[in-house]
Amino acid sequence: MTKTGLVFFPAFDWAIAPDHPEREERLLYTRDQIFEEGIMDLPQVVEMAPRLCREHEIRRTHFCVPDVASQTTEAHLIAAGAAQVLGDEIVAGRLQNGFAVVRPPGHHAMRVVHGNRGFCNINNEAVLVEYLRRRHGIRRVAIVDTDVHHGDGTQDIFYHDPDVLFISFHQDGRTIYPGTGFTHELGGPNAFGRTLNIPLPPGTTDESMLFVLDNLILPVLADFAPELVVNSAGQDNHYSDPLGEMLITARGYATLTSRLRPHLAVLEGGYAVESALPYVNLGIILALAGLDFDQVREADYPRTFYEDPARRPRLEKMVADLLQIWRMKDRMDLGAVFGHEEFYRREKSVYYDTDGIEEKQVETVRVCRECPGFLNIDSRAVHPDGRPVNVLALSVPLAACNRCRTLAYDAYAAARANAASYHHIHLQDKSTDTFLAFDVAGNRETVSEG
Amino acid sequence: MFIGVDVGGTCTDAVLLDKGGVRATAKVTTREDLLASLTEALDQVTVGVGREEIERVNLSTTLITNLVAEKKYDPVGLLLIPGPGVDARGMDWPGPTCFIPGAVDYRGREIAPLDTAAVAKAAADFRDRGITRVAVAGKFSNRNNGHELLARDTILGVVPEMKVELGHQVAGALNFPRRAVTAFLTAATRERYRFFAEAVLEALARRQITCPVFVLKADGSTCPLAYSVQQPVETLFSGPAASTLGVQALTPPGETVVVVDIGGTTTDLALILSGQPLLSARGARVDGQLTQVRALAVHSVPIGGDSVVDRVGREIIIYSERAGPAFCLGGPLPTPTDALRVLGLTLQGDPDRAAEAMNALGSVLGCDAPATARKVVDLFVDSVAREINLMFAEWHKEPAYNVWEIMQKHQGRNRGLQTVVGVGGGAAGLTARVAAAVGCYPVMPPYAPVANAIGAAVARPTMQVSLRADTQAGYYLVLEEGLRDALPAGATEEDVMGIARLWLAKRAARYGLTVGPEVEVTRREVFNMIRDWRTVGRLYDLSIQTSRGILAYIGTGGAVHD
Repeated sequence: MTKTGLVFFPAFDWAIAPDHPEREERLLYTRDQIFEEGIMDLPQVVEMAPRLCREHEIRRTHFCVPDVASQTTEAHLIAAGAAQVLGDEIVAGRLQNGFAVVRPPGHHAMRVVHGNRGFCNINNEAVLVEYLRRRHGIRRVAIVDTDVHHGDGTQDIFYHDPDVLFISFHQDGRTIYPGTGFTHELGGPNAFGRTLNIPLPPGTTDESMLFVLDNLILPVLADFAPELVVNSAGQDNHYSDPLGEMLITARGYATLTSRLRPHLAVLEGGYAVESALPYVNLGIILALAGLDFDQVREADYPRTFYEDPARRPRLEKMVADLLQIWRMKDRMDLGAVFGHEEFYRREKSVYYDTDGIEEKQVETVRVCRECPGFLNIDSRAVHPDGRPVNVLALSVPLAACNRCRTLAYDAYAAARANAASYHHIHLQDKSTDTFLAFDVAGNRETVSEG
Repeated sequence: MFIGVDVGGTCTDAVLLDKGGVRATAKVTTREDLLASLTEALDQVTVGVGREEIERVNLSTTLITNLVAEKKYDPVGLLLIPGPGVDARGMDWPGPTCFIPGAVDYRGREIAPLDTAAVAKAAADFRDRGITRVAVAGKFSNRNNGHELLARDTILGVVPEMKVELGHQVAGALNFPRRAVTAFLTAATRERYRFFAEAVLEALARRQITCPVFVLKADGSTCPLAYSVQQPVETLFSGPAASTLGVQALTPPGETVVVVDIGGTTTDLALILSGQPLLSARGARVDGQLTQVRALAVHSVPIGGDSVVDRVGREIIIYSERAGPAFCLGGPLPTPTDALRVLGLTLQGDPDRAAEAMNALGSVLGCDAPATARKVVDLFVDSVAREINLMFAEWHKEPAYNVWEIMQKHQGRNRGLQTVVGVGGGAAGLTARVAAAVGCYPVMPPYAPVANAIGAAVARPTMQVSLRADTQAGYYLVLEEGLRDALPAGATEEDVMGIARLWLAKRAARYGLTVGPEVEVTRREVFNMIRDWRTVGRLYDLSIQTSRGILAYIGTGGAVHD
C-alpha cells in the first residue's frame, strides 16, 4: 500500500510580525487536532521531515532582488524544501500523494521578487515544479489553486508556459486582494488557455464550488492529462475566515480534495486559526488518505448556508464559456488576440503590500513556434524610502530553442555593456540550469550552476 | 551499596554495586515464578552483605510486558468519547468498545455535552457481559477532563463495584487513540501488578531489606515500587532501558554510541546521544499497540543467539522463534550460538555438537562446518547492521516543528555513528563484526553480560511536570495530575514556570524525593494569541523535569552522582 505523506512544518518560531496574521500561532490548533487524532500513527499516513531548499533551486524559478539570501529566511527554505521532499517520494512512486502543511505560504510570489507581497516571498509550488522538471524529467503539471485569493504569483510564473496548466478559483478580485484573476486572464500567446480563472462572488457555498469542480476543473484536467496535479490548498474560502467572505465548510474542502485527487497539496492561506484550520487540514488529510471524513465538523456545526439560486445561471454561463475556451484554445486565431509581432509585450504594476514596494514591469515574450519563448522583463521598483531598484531579468525556458537562448544571452551581454539603466541584470537559463546575476554597482557577476 | 535486578524473558540478572565498582553479580534462569527468580538472584548477590549497608534496590521486571504479550489480563471495556474528527468506529480497539456522544475541543471547550444516559447504558452492558473494568478516554480530555470525570461518576452510580481508569490520568499528551490504549492497558494490568509489587515488598521485608525499593520504567528512570502500581504500564519494556543505562554507566560520560543488546531471542538496539539515551517521540509500542508510555527509543530485531536457523532450498534463514537453548548447549535445533561456537567466537557449549549442527545445515550446500558457520554469522550481522542504519536514518528524519530545530539538525547531519557497544549474552562473539558492518569501533565493556542489571542499579528517579496555561481562558492544567486550576490574570512566563516548579516539588515530595535547584526544561512553547490584530492572551506549554542521569559511572573510582 502506498501511503499519504505529510510534512508538517508549522514554523512555531517564525512570523512576519508579532501581530501579523502570518504568525507563530497559525498552525498551533491544527497541530493539536492532528496530533490528538493520532493522524501520524495511521497506517495510511507517513510523516516526513522537511529539508532545506537550495538557493540554486530557488533561482530556477525566481529572480530575487538583489539575491536569494535577502528575500528568504530559513523558514522559506524549509517550506519550499518540504514540498520537494514529498515531490521526490511521489514521483518515485513511494507515496501515493502528499500534503505539505507548511508556513510561510507562497502563491502570491511572482517571478521577480523585490519583497513580500500577500505574505509570500517564495512560491513553493513553482519552485517544486521547476525542481521536478529538472530533477525527474516531469513535463506536464497542473496547479489548482483553491485559496480565496487569486494565485497571481503562480499565474505570473507560468503565464507563458504551455506545459503548466494553472487553474484558480477564488473570491472575485473586485472584492478582495490582490484584485486580479478574471476570466479574461488566459495565458500568453505561447500558452493560451493554460491559465483559467474562476472568480466567484462572496457568499459562494460548497455546492457552487463543487459545481465548478465537477463541470470545469475535472473535465479540463482529464483533457490536459498532467503527470502531476498540485493543489495550492489555501483554506480561506472557509465560512469563518477573517479575510475572505466565502461560505465553504471543512467537509466542502475535504470533498473537493477527494474528487480532485491531487498528488500534492501545499498549504497556502487560511487565517481562521481556531475555527477553520484544524478542521479543514484534518479533512484534507483524511481525503488524501482515502479515509472517511464524514465526522469532520466545525465546532459550530450544524450550519447550513443559503445561496441565492438566482446567482446560479451566471455561474453556469461562466463555467460553460471557460470550458468552450479550453476546447477551442488550440484552434483560435491567436494573432487576433495577441497581435502578429515576433514579441508580445504586457505591462504590469505590482504592489508589495507587506513591504510597501511599487513595481512597474514590462514583460516581453518571444512568440516562438519551436519553444515556449524566452522572456525579457524590465522591472523598475520603488521602495518606500524612494530608492529605485531597476532590474533586467531574462529567462530561457527548459525546452528553449537555440534562437531564443541566443537572443537571451545577447540581451544579457548588451545590457551589461550598457548597464546605466539597471542596478541588477539577471539571466536564468533553465535549459542549461545556469543562472547569472550581474551587480552593476559592484561590477560583479555571480554564476550558479546545478 | 546499590542492588540492581533485571528480571528478563530468559535470564534474571543481579549486581551489587559498591562505590562505583561491581562487587557481585548473579545470573539465573527466569522461571514461570518471576518472584522466585528475582529473590534467587537477589540472594546470590547479597551473600555476606550487611542489610544496613544496602542503600537502595532497583528492580526491572518483564511482568507487564509478558502480561500484555500473552494477553493474560482481565477483560476491560473501553468507553470512548471521540467527538467529531477521525471516525473512531473505523479503528481497531483492543477490547469491547462503546462510543459515547460528547465533545471537547483543542482548547478544552465543551462542544457537545456528555450523553450520560449512554454512559449508564454502556456501564450496565459491560456489567451484563461480566466485565469488571472500564477504561474511559475522551478526545482532548487532556485539555478538559470534565467528561471523563462525569463518565466515571455515572458508571459508578450504575455499577458501584466497577474499576474505572481515566485516560487523562495516564496519558496527558496529545494523541487520543494512544490515550485510550494506555488507559486500557492500565486497567488490564493494574491488579496483577499490585499483587506482584506487594509480594516483592514482602519478600524483601522477610530478608530484612528495608532500604528504599524502586522499579525501572521504560524511559530509564525509576519510581518507588509502592507508587508504581498507579502507573503499571510505565514499567513496560524496562528491559531494553536497563541495558541502555548499563551501557551508559559502562562508557565514558557524554559519548554517542549505539547499544546492541544481543539476547537469546531478540537483539535490542538503542541510541545514546552525547551521553543521553534517546527517547521515542510518541511513546512505546506494545505488542503492536501504540501507547503514550514514555520510553527509550528501542528497536527490537527479532533474532538472537538462540533463534532457530534452518535451510530452505539453498538459502539459510534465521527465524524469529526460539526452540530452546543452542544445539551445543543441549537444545534441539541449530542456532547462531552454534555458529559462534564453531568459529571459536564463544567458548560456551560442546564444540562437537556445534559442528554437528552446522554440518546438518551446510552439508547439502557442500559447505563444511566453519563455512556454514560463517554464512550464519554473516546473515545475523547483516540483519542487525541493516536495522542500525535504519534506526539512525529514522532518527535523522524525525520531524521538527521549529526553524531552529531543523537548522540544528541540518548542520549536524553529517555527524555519523562512531561506536557500537555490545552487551548481552551474544555480544562477545558478534559485537566486533556488527561494528565493522556499520563502520564503527566496537566496544565490549566489562560486565557486558550483566549490563542490564547494572543499568537497573544505576537508574534514578526522574520526575516530570507538564503544564499548560491559557491566559485568555484563565486556567492552567498539570497534565500528570489531571489537575485544572485558575490562572491569575496577566500571568507571565516566569509565573507559569514558578507554578510548574511548585508542582514538580509537590509531586517529588510524594515520591520521597527532593528537587534541587537544577531543573531541566524539556519543552517550552509560548504563543501569543492574536485576534483581530490584537494580543488577547498567551498559551504556555512547559515540561520540566528533575535532571536525567544515572547514579554512577562504573570504573570511575567511585564517583557517585545523586
